[in-house]
Amino acid sequence: MRSKGAQFTIAIVCLVLGIMLAIQFKATKSYSLGYSPDRVEELAQKLSQVTEERDTMANEVASLQEKLSNIRKNDQAMADLQQELQIYSMYGGLAPVQGAGIILTVNDIPGNSEPGENPNNRIVHDLELLLLINELKASGAEAISINDERLTMSEIRCAGTQILVNTNLIWPPFVISVIGNPEQLESGLNIPGGFLSTMKAIGYPTHIQKMEKIEIPPYTGRIKSSFMKPVEYTKKAE
Amino acid sequence: MWLLLLFCLLLGLFIGFQIPVLPMIFAKYLSIAILAALDSVFGGIRAYMEDGFDDVIFISGFVVNTLLAAGLAYLGDRLGVQLYLAAVVVFGVRIFQNLGIIRRYLLKKY
Repeated sequence: MRSKGAQFTIAIVCLVLGIMLAIQFKATKSYSLGYSPDRVEELAQKLSQVTEERDTMANEVASLQEKLSNIRKNDQAMADLQQELQIYSMYGGLAPVQGAGIILTVNDIPGNSEPGENPNNRIVHDLELLLLINELKASGAEAISINDERLTMSEIRCAGTQILVNTNLIWPPFVISVIGNPEQLESGLNIPGGFLSTMKAIGYPTHIQKMEKIEIPPYTGRIKSSFMKPVEYTKKAE
Repeated sequence: MWLLLLFCLLLGLFIGFQIPVLPMIFAKYLSIAILAALDSVFGGIRAYMEDGFDDVIFISGFVVNTLLAAGLAYLGDRLGVQLYLAAVVVFGVRIFQNLGIIRRYLLKKY
C-alpha cells in the first residue's frame, strides 16, 4: 500500500524535522560553537560566583577607602599637632630659629687699667648684660642668644671672672644675637639716656649690626621641672 | 518520493532559519527531540518500504517519541541522572537499524 497519503505524511514530518534541525543548528551556532549546555551551565555558575566575589571585593574596597580617609584625617590632626609643637618649641627655645634682627657686640674696655683704677670697671659684668637684654626684650626681641647660648629661663650670672649662661661659661667679646624688627631693636638700644649709651660713654666698645637673617641655636641644656606641673585641662574645658 | 522528502526537508530548514533563536535551556531538549524525530522518519520510511505504513502509528509515534524524549531528558536533569544519554543510545541504535533495513530494501529494489 504505497499510497500517496503515506508519502505525504512522511513529507510533512520531514518538514517539521527540517524546522527543528534548522532551529537547533541556529541555536548551536549562536551559543558559541563547541560549548555544550553543561559547559554553559558551569560557566554561568562560575560567572555568578565571580560576580559575587567581585561584589564582596568592591565592598572591601569601599571599607578600606573609608579607613584610609580616616587615617588621612588622623594624619591631618597629627600634622596640626606637629605644627603646634614646632611653634611652642620655638617659643620655648627648644628649636633653632632664624629671622631678621641685629647682632650686638660688647667687649671689655681695651688696654690695661691705669694705676689706681679698679680693673673691675673695665670689664663687662653680668649686670650690664642683663640690662642690655632687658632693653632688647622691651624693644620687641623674639629670640636672644649670647655667644650662641639661647636664653630661655637662663641665668646670666657672675662666676668669678667669667659669666655663666645656661650654666656654661662665656667670655668676652659678648655677641648678642637678637631676632626681631631690626629698626625697632636698634632704636630701642640707641634711645638717648638708655643703657647702651651709658656703656658707650664709659668707653665699652659696642657694635650693632643689622642682619637680614640670623640663626639662633636652640637651648641644649637639661630640661627639668620638679615642681612645675601642668594644670588639668579638663576642668577648664567644662 | 525521495525528491519530495528532500524538498520538504529543505523547505523545513528554510522555514526554521527564519524563526528566532530558542533559549539555550531548550537546545539540549530540542536535540533529543530531533533524534526522536529522525528515528520516526526513518521508521516511517522503512514501514513505507515494507508496505506496513500506518498514518496514525507514524504520526503518533513521531509526536509522542519526540515529546517523550525531550521530557525524559528534562526529568533526567531534574533528577541529576543523565537520562538523555539513554534516549541518545536507543534512538541512535534504532536509526542505524532502520537505515540498514532501508538500505537492504533499496539494494533489493534496484
